[in-house]
Amino acid sequence: MAVSGTLIRPNQYFSSCVNTPSPRFNPSCRKQFCLKASAGNTDGEERKLTRKEKDGGWKIEYTAEKPATPLLDTINYPAHMKNLSTQDLKQLAAELRMDIVHSVSQTGGHLSSSLGVVELSVALHHVFSTPDDKIIWDVGHQAYPHKILTGRRPKMHTMRKTSGLAGFPKRDESVHDAFGVGHSSTSISAGLGMAVARDLLGKNNNIISVIGDGAMTAGQAYEAMNNAGYLDSNLIVILNDNKQVSLPTATLDGPATPVGALSSALTKLQASTQFRKLREAAKSITKQIGGQTHEVAAKVDEYARGMISASGSTLFEELGLYYIGPVDGHNVEDLVNILQRVKAMPAPGPVLIHIMTEKGKGYPPAEAAADRMHGVVKFDPPTGKQFKTKSPTLSYTQYFAESLIKEAETDEKIVAIHAAMGGGTGLNYFQKKFPDRCFDVGIAEQHAVTFAAGLAAEGLKPFCAIYSSFLQRGYDQVVHDVDLQKLPVRFAMDRAGLVGADGPTHCGAFDITYMACLPNMVVMAPSDEAELMHMVATAAVIDDRPSCFRFPRGNGIGAVLPAHNKGTAIEIGKGRILMEGSRVAILGYGSIVQQCVGAANMLKTRDISVTVADARFCKPLDTELIKQLAKEHEILITVEEGSIGGFGSHVSHYLSLSGILDGPLKLRAMVLPDRYIDHGAPQDQLEEAGLSSRQISATVLSLLGRPKEALQFA
Amino acid sequence: MQTYGLTIPGADSRLYITPISAARPAPDPKPSSLPVFSSRTRFGSIKAKAATMNGAVTAEEKELSFYELLGIPESGSIKEIKQAYKQLARKYHPDVSPPGRVEEYTEKFIRVQEAYETLSDSRRRALYDQDMARGLHLAFSARRYQYDEGMEVKGDWKNRWQSQLSELKRRSSYKDDRQNMSWGARMRRQREGLADEV
Repeated sequence: MAVSGTLIRPNQYFSSCVNTPSPRFNPSCRKQFCLKASAGNTDGEERKLTRKEKDGGWKIEYTAEKPATPLLDTINYPAHMKNLSTQDLKQLAAELRMDIVHSVSQTGGHLSSSLGVVELSVALHHVFSTPDDKIIWDVGHQAYPHKILTGRRPKMHTMRKTSGLAGFPKRDESVHDAFGVGHSSTSISAGLGMAVARDLLGKNNNIISVIGDGAMTAGQAYEAMNNAGYLDSNLIVILNDNKQVSLPTATLDGPATPVGALSSALTKLQASTQFRKLREAAKSITKQIGGQTHEVAAKVDEYARGMISASGSTLFEELGLYYIGPVDGHNVEDLVNILQRVKAMPAPGPVLIHIMTEKGKGYPPAEAAADRMHGVVKFDPPTGKQFKTKSPTLSYTQYFAESLIKEAETDEKIVAIHAAMGGGTGLNYFQKKFPDRCFDVGIAEQHAVTFAAGLAAEGLKPFCAIYSSFLQRGYDQVVHDVDLQKLPVRFAMDRAGLVGADGPTHCGAFDITYMACLPNMVVMAPSDEAELMHMVATAAVIDDRPSCFRFPRGNGIGAVLPAHNKGTAIEIGKGRILMEGSRVAILGYGSIVQQCVGAANMLKTRDISVTVADARFCKPLDTELIKQLAKEHEILITVEEGSIGGFGSHVSHYLSLSGILDGPLKLRAMVLPDRYIDHGAPQDQLEEAGLSSRQISATVLSLLGRPKEALQFA
Repeated sequence: MQTYGLTIPGADSRLYITPISAARPAPDPKPSSLPVFSSRTRFGSIKAKAATMNGAVTAEEKELSFYELLGIPESGSIKEIKQAYKQLARKYHPDVSPPGRVEEYTEKFIRVQEAYETLSDSRRRALYDQDMARGLHLAFSARRYQYDEGMEVKGDWKNRWQSQLSELKRRSSYKDDRQNMSWGARMRRQREGLADEV
């Protein structure tokens, strides 16, 4: 009987294959046994797992209810997976898929990347034993099956929520998460480090790095492979190739072709028919030699095998990694087979296993969507329809894209560059309008910055749209290639400040600090979407030095936009006063100004009238404004959503240099605390950081000598 | 010349679907290259309609390539293919064909349909172009373009990685010989040495 014990439950009924009459039914072939296992509910709901006959695959029906997952329920840790048979593993994969779809439909998060690696996760945990063996997931957004299989299934409903599971592997969260990731292309480097440590400590575990074809476009992956090949330490690298390099994996018009020459090389790897011909040629030679010369025939075959390597794999071979593939990444049996054999070898050295997967596999709405449902909010499982909340305003990203398009319409020299984030940076819209002026360089921030520098050196006006936290990767290029030479590259840093559910790996806390300390850089930040449009225009006219502006994740506040989305350049180094008051001045930088305004309104209810100013520029500072505020007020508070060393630091430096600090002024700087803020809802994070309106009000009150009232706010 | 005659169950026994002209009433003057006819050919349901063919189609027409059938150049774009298909489909659709020539038109319609299906799918078109380049003109579904190519490709892959694994095993057995001075090899020898001592 092909039924495993876990499928039998008292309230279940199962029938043998009656609904699909099959003339090919062969009693000796177990694969064709069709099993219907369903939990009988009183309201007659059936959650079916029906096995398809033809290829032994599972057909899944997605419903809005919690799916029945009898086998997955027995797995709490990878150790429980060791004794499963191949059929069980396939069933487990199907149940995992259902669980992930169900879970992500309730919480939102990254869906299709996880679906693509279900079989791989099952195979890895079956063959290897974490936490002794280390599995490092590059980027980590595909690690949901890994988390479910390593004991975090009960907490999946808290994914990406405050105090819940992190959206990416995190060492603090579980011993099964070998390395913290979030930025891409780090897995091979980290894996190699762990492998070398293992060798030095004389241990004997396995290290596996799982990296995608998108992450493979980053230089660090090659740096790591180059080193791995040289050191020759035992290491398994799994290249998960789903032909989706950029995010979202679609332009506005449909699926995007993978960017870069590498992708076509990877494609060639699968398509080679020469291998087959070679093998057949080898076979025919053996035949001709004849049956009597067995040894010779065997040798010929062996040498033929040795000669055979897929064309194009020489790239990896040259780097020193032994290439195996392509492999069907959705075939659990094959994956287990390969992994077991590689594990059993004493000295394989670094090995690269190239698996082909499909993003969103097994969930038809994801397979059909142009962007494959990469990142989703809550959705309806049967249809895949997302429940997107309607907002009265658009996101800052969209306003940025609109105003950049407007600028580019009148100025032909404006070009845009991004690093595989067409959707996230809004440049997909720009791409649609000006396809030849938008450059997606793949996950290569360093290259993007220097590439922009090259464009600027020849007179073009490049706008580099890179997330604040990802720009960290290209920082030396910003300093050395752009700022030192004073090339007019414009940096549009999206996702500045706290970013909510993605957590500290994506948080843009440091950009004010690292940009404003550069001698030639103009550093500005808009307080709302209209200001953002004006700053895009301002950046477009700054042609003699580099400039940057930062804006947060989230939607606009509803400010009045300039006509036709065309901003006007503002005077460089000039801030503005939003509210007039006395005794206390709050000088905000960036979108946090809105929190300052909120604080001022709260204080009004206490009959305290404070001045709120929007600095707009961190470099060059509006010294007149600061001097005026210092002269007319007793207390000056600077507020920014950035780390220490940023705006507040520049203001205090100026005040001390000008001698104002020698006087009666009370100066306080409110910055992000000296620790990483965990993922959560944006409002929770702001509170955690101490920068919400009420916390600003509380600060004011305590400075005014009214600590009791401050407590009421805090 | 070998003939692969395939009788369709339930059809007249003298109706053969042949890849080349051997069984046809009219001798084929054109030199046609022998196809490598795979015994794995399968006929989908649409091909069953071909049973109605009764030799009304001329020898020349059977030799038409898909491109010639649709009347487009070999470098035709998807748009051109679509246009040609639509035109011909409208012309040859059984419902609008003149009475008495229904069977002929139906057969043409089926061919046009198949031509479109093959040429509009870039993978199948590539395969078809390849075959044509090699001089193999397999008319009318003799070549199993309909077969699940995914399975064939994956079968290829499996052969390949199995060989690769064997090769890796072979290499791995002598990888840590004295001569190999890589860091990893030295560490492994050290570890093995320690293990032996223990």
